[in-house]
Amino acid sequence: MLKKRVIFTLLYDNGSFMLSRNFRLQKVGDLQWLKKNYNFSKLSFSIDELVILDVTRTERDRKKFLNHVRALSEECFIPIAAGGGVRDVEFAHSLVNNGADKIVINSLVGQSIETIRNIVAELGSQCVVASIDAKKVKNEYMVYTENGTLQQSFSLQEWLDKLTEIPVGEVYLNSIDRDGTGQGYQKELIEFIPVDFQLPIILSGGAGKYQHFIEGLESKKVDAVATAHLFNFIGNSLEDSRIALLKEGYNLAKWDVNNFESIKDIFSPAEKSSK
Amino acid sequence: MGASIHYKVMRAPKVTLIDYGIGNLWSVVSAIKYLGAQVDLISDPEKISRASILLLPGLGSFRKGMEALKDTGIDKAILRAVNDNDARILGICMGMQLMGSYGSEDGGAMGLGLIPNRVERFTKEELKGNKIPHVGFNTVNFSDRKGLFKDFPKSSDFYFTHSYRMLLEKRNGIHATCVYGEEFLAAFEVGNICGTQFHPEKSQTNGLLLLRNFLQG
Repeated sequence: MLKKRVIFTLLYDNGSFMLSRNFRLQKVGDLQWLKKNYNFSKLSFSIDELVILDVTRTERDRKKFLNHVRALSEECFIPIAAGGGVRDVEFAHSLVNNGADKIVINSLVGQSIETIRNIVAELGSQCVVASIDAKKVKNEYMVYTENGTLQQSFSLQEWLDKLTEIPVGEVYLNSIDRDGTGQGYQKELIEFIPVDFQLPIILSGGAGKYQHFIEGLESKKVDAVATAHLFNFIGNSLEDSRIALLKEGYNLAKWDVNNFESIKDIFSPAEKSSK
Repeated sequence: MGASIHYKVMRAPKVTLIDYGIGNLWSVVSAIKYLGAQVDLISDPEKISRASILLLPGLGSFRKGMEALKDTGIDKAILRAVNDNDARILGICMGMQLMGSYGSEDGGAMGLGLIPNRVERFTKEELKGNKIPHVGFNTVNFSDRKGLFKDFPKSSDFYFTHSYRMLLEKRNGIHATCVYGEEFLAAFEVGNICGTQFHPEKSQTNGLLLLRNFLQG
């Protein structure tokens, strides 16, 4: 049976990892800090997938971001989706060549469907995740692009229709109102997703503790739950969350973490001959 | 024989990762290196034909994948290595699909024909409401718990991301299946020819264990 997924999202801004609250960014630490404080390779065993988004507000240094994607993908054997500033097929290829399994697009949906079609033609639709930043305006959800700064003239429904038509592989649906608040996912946003929507949905925005994951996992419309909350899930919190969710019978994948150490360098001649 | 085992040092397998410009090679490299094996990215058909352990990754459409293999002459090099020199090969995701006889994606194309199975898109009727692509970890059921599937329980979770699947028309050798609306071929080991529809390099320790088994075989 297909499992649901718990996804961790790293927000990157010019060499630093960030905490976001309603799209306002706060610097938390760099790659060294992340590796040292998080033991990133160990942390990755508590999640099903990693998303890395370049949300740099000033001019993006693409090469630097690619280096970070590549460094994070070492000793982290889960799917990685990376994006932020994807505007052409070439950069999509660069992401894939630097450790990303999927690329994340956002503003491009408002700019050039044709470019997205070209990316899909090159890499396959399963390789393209469309991220949507949605905000409730009056009684409707509207789509925002450019790091949440530009309101599009399309409703969320119209946006979802566009994506289904291309089609992209998955939709990463983020609530701007709940972003980084730790108050839980926006239930109304889940209700808004059409029952028969054709693409897998990754729900984001608001998770602050593992019980919030349940709000998403319990919905038939939601295929994966994501959090970008670095502080709330620091230390053993992600690991504890996964253990608790599995214990409560939620449909998540299982693997034996103990094999990680025992299998390391199993073919290395140096290791073997020293015995 | 028995007396010499004591002194025998296991040599690090040397893996030739076929680079035909398609796929996230970096993750596969990381996984092989983590196991302590050596890995080289090779696009030269001559070198590929002489390799003893091959990895064939893949991404995108079946037709484009086959075109890329043909344009570079890598298709023939693979067949020579596998059929004439008994090289061991593992195809991953699209790489596994390309080993089949035919793929209907993107106008259709003949595959490498290392195994007779065909590759077709999941059909609406069979999906029973499931979404396309099939993405995420899913349960894989093993026919045997040896070879490629040594040291696993009866079933194990692996990461998939695909819209086309290999049909279960022929079940030779050791194989594994997965159910997504319908049952499809998730992995196989027929002599020196192995394939996984899922991504072992993206399936946590389950995938690393399977890669170890492949390299030990």
